[in-house]
Amino acid sequence: MPNGGTLEQAKQVEEMMLKELAWLWPVGALTLGAIVAVILAMAAPRHRQGLVGLWVALAHLAAAGLAVWVWLDRGFMAVMEQTVVVDGLSLTLAALIGVAGALCVALARPSIGGTDREGEFYAVLTFASLAAVLLGMAADAALLGLAIGALGLATFVMTGYLRGSPGSNEASIKYYIFGTVSGAVMLYGLSWWFGLAGTTNLREIGKALADAPLAAVVASSALVLFGLGYKAALVPFHFWTPDAYDGAPLPVAAYLSVLPKLAGLVALARVLPMALPDDTAGWSTAVAALAAATMTLGNLAALPQRNVVRLLAYSSIAQSGYLLMGVAALEGSDQGLPALVYYAIAYAAMNLAAFAVVLAVQRERGSVDLDAFRGLGRRHPWWTATLVVAFLSLLGLPPLAGFVGKLEVFLAAIDADQAWLAVIAVLNTVVSLYYYLRVIAPAVLESPSATEASPARPHGALTAVLGIAGVATVAFGVAAEPLLRLAERATALT
Amino acid sequence: MPWLTVSIVVPLLLAGVTALLPARPSRVPHALVLAATAVSAVALAVTWIRFDSARGMQLIEEATWIPSLDVAWRVGVDGMSLALALLTVVLFGASAAYGVGPRPLTRAAAGMLLLLEAATLAFFLAEDFLLFYVAFDVTLVAMYFLIALWGEEQRRYAALKFFLYTLIGSLPVLLGIIALFLQSEPQTFDMTRLATEQPFAGAGLGASLVFLAFFVGFAIKAPVVPFHTWLPAAHVEAPTAGSVLLAGVLLKMGTYGLVRVNLQMLPDAFAEYALPVALLGLLSVIYGALVAMAQSDLKRLVAYTSVNHMGYVVIGVAAAAATGISARARELAIDGAVLQMIAHGFVTATLFFIAGFIKERAGTRDLGRLSGLLRPMPWYSSLVALAFFASLGLPGLAQFPAELQIFLGTFDVFPAVAAVAVVGIVITAALFLLALQRAFMGDTPEPLRGLPDLHAREIVAVAPLVTLFVVLGLYPRLALDLIDAASWL
Repeated sequence: MPNGGTLEQAKQVEEMMLKELAWLWPVGALTLGAIVAVILAMAAPRHRQGLVGLWVALAHLAAAGLAVWVWLDRGFMAVMEQTVVVDGLSLTLAALIGVAGALCVALARPSIGGTDREGEFYAVLTFASLAAVLLGMAADAALLGLAIGALGLATFVMTGYLRGSPGSNEASIKYYIFGTVSGAVMLYGLSWWFGLAGTTNLREIGKALADAPLAAVVASSALVLFGLGYKAALVPFHFWTPDAYDGAPLPVAAYLSVLPKLAGLVALARVLPMALPDDTAGWSTAVAALAAATMTLGNLAALPQRNVVRLLAYSSIAQSGYLLMGVAALEGSDQGLPALVYYAIAYAAMNLAAFAVVLAVQRERGSVDLDAFRGLGRRHPWWTATLVVAFLSLLGLPPLAGFVGKLEVFLAAIDADQAWLAVIAVLNTVVSLYYYLRVIAPAVLESPSATEASPARPHGALTAVLGIAGVATVAFGVAAEPLLRLAERATALT
Repeated sequence: MPWLTVSIVVPLLLAGVTALLPARPSRVPHALVLAATAVSAVALAVTWIRFDSARGMQLIEEATWIPSLDVAWRVGVDGMSLALALLTVVLFGASAAYGVGPRPLTRAAAGMLLLLEAATLAFFLAEDFLLFYVAFDVTLVAMYFLIALWGEEQRRYAALKFFLYTLIGSLPVLLGIIALFLQSEPQTFDMTRLATEQPFAGAGLGASLVFLAFFVGFAIKAPVVPFHTWLPAAHVEAPTAGSVLLAGVLLKMGTYGLVRVNLQMLPDAFAEYALPVALLGLLSVIYGALVAMAQSDLKRLVAYTSVNHMGYVVIGVAAAAATGISARARELAIDGAVLQMIAHGFVTATLFFIAGFIKERAGTRDLGRLSGLLRPMPWYSSLVALAFFASLGLPGLAQFPAELQIFLGTFDVFPAVAAVAVVGIVITAALFLLALQRAFMGDTPEPLRGLPDLHAREIVAVAPLVTLFVVLGLYPRLALDLIDAASWL
């Protein structure tokens, strides 16, 4: 043990940790990527800042590739004195963050290219991805707190990137205040856990909490949930979401809606079964109730939105609810984790596709109001096709990725004796039809208005993201087998 | 040759091809739809030749798809699905010949028609539950765009209503499918296995809930009163060929599901609820007929008669599900129900064409404003008379043997239901005769005098339908030998 051991023991531990670094290559790639990006951003001239973007995109892709390599070559292990868990769940998240992060960099390039501090933006984005990967790996209360804090800091900066825009500043401040409060609340909860267990190791905490007084367990766990629920935009910790997405630069909103959210959900899927084993304090039902509330509020609040970014913000809250069904089923069914993993991948594809189209429309028409989508089909049939595919997939229609995702979470819920939750999810799906069609219908059915800006020259990187995410949304649904198999193997070490 | 797969995949592939066509108007999209329909028709005709009517589910084609969930590309036919698949290609051929939206057919319209055709065929031929569900929902999307893009004035509202109702119906079906999957051992989406293994044997609470989930979904689609409120809007606002396909083919998906899933996979639960289901069918028969009688818009009138006619199908299926029915009566009821699906498909498709023809000429379908059409349009009027008689169940035309068999079968278990349902026939007879009298007899007002009679394109569209409902009326064995419920029930 590091505390109170001899020098000899400390040396042994150090040696082991050095060996275990081999499991942390994906983390290493992002760390290196971020640090070099900072230096590059300082060194490169202003018109060459795009290089930094290219660099961090490559770093993200390298992290994804290394995650695959670790999985295949090294296998799963809890490393660094059991604080960092490298298993199917965290490696899948790392690979997903690598790919989705690279796509977000490509989305960001057309919007922020040429602005001052472009290079630093990419560096900060990479730090955020690094924190998100660590959040998915954390099996230690201290590391959990650290990852949440670092992720928060990096994303505050990204949200407030447009310094000249009052909206961006307001969004950043709101996000910052909510974020620090929820982070502090979570740390407070973690300190209770530490107090009850005398250790920061989540597995040890789990053993201790099983015998601890119920009131203390419930109170402290609720506090911890606050921080993770905030990251995943769960009701009732979701208030920041629409304002932050709307105020932030659109690529940042895309980033926030996918990466930190999925990292938060993966962390929930790890922390809850570890710290509260065997459904201690009945957390499954509590999480199921949270899922029901999240999808219902998200969907109802999305109904009146005319600003498509805000609509997507509420939609992403509702999607968190569906994703959370997988977490709620963890104790009752072995389908829970595969459902969460598959849905996470499907969600990343379809939500990035949706944001890519919205970004393309915003660049051409300067607006993300519903009216900006009117008659899109005549002018940009491929954008419109991507929009329709992404939104119908978010709705959950077959044969798209979102459908297989819903199938998986419904299956998990029914298998875990939470059929009531599946019924609520079905009702929610019906409600969500209205607002998804509200965007699709004018785009496909109406003619463009006469007074209209000429079509913007499509940006290469943006078009590429649009195509990749759109094709993935279809392919992950039609050819779901490889991903389902991956999801089945993406187990968590317990 | 995997003929069934060919009949589904060719329209699907050509739907993809339409997206790549150049935007300028040309005859290519139209040719693509006709070609795909011809290929599907040939493939299904070959299947018919290879079909052994003494056996149930057969000619199964299987390919792996998602093995970890035991989902596979499984298609196969029994008498009911082959008959409905044949109905589908005939109606798509007629609709494609008539066209949707601007002429010549645009690539978007052709793409939607082909997508709808592939999905409808996949639905009727699916032997895998996930494929079944995927096809069910894809028809929904394709029909939504057909209505919303090329429909009449209220098309957006009608299309949304159609989408909403069908989605409300399809999601409980999904939950039911998942429940069947989880209950089966080892877990599978194979419909043949689920039908033989019956994971929900017995009529416990679980079976009842699953039954209810499927029933709601299929009752909305069929539609059964009180789940029918989407139907008038969608049928009236859809373009002519859209209404034809909606009433002729898509409604059958509801009753097909009722037989394929509720009756075959959950027979014990269905036996428990046979009477309430039969009563809902009876309600549809009477209510549909009465409301149809009150309509002056010809298209709306035809739409409501569909509620009436699908009600007979539901009664027949419910009777077949009831305990205490003799084997002979059960067979009669189900044979009649399936024959009624086919017959109604041809007849109601003709009726919707008729409504479209007159709207295109006179600019109205209001029976109050149409009068004396017999004089300027003798051929059209004869067609209308023939179709009306077919729809009211005149002997010698296709719906008569179907309804007769349903009544004979139902009489065995629910004599009262059968007796009251006959009233429906009387009401529809009255309303069709009344409509004939109002629109075709009497003086021809000035603006209607110069109306042209049937065009070649219109004749091409309706001729096969009329021929088929006459042939089926005179020689119902043609379809009954194929359907032959005794071999697959």
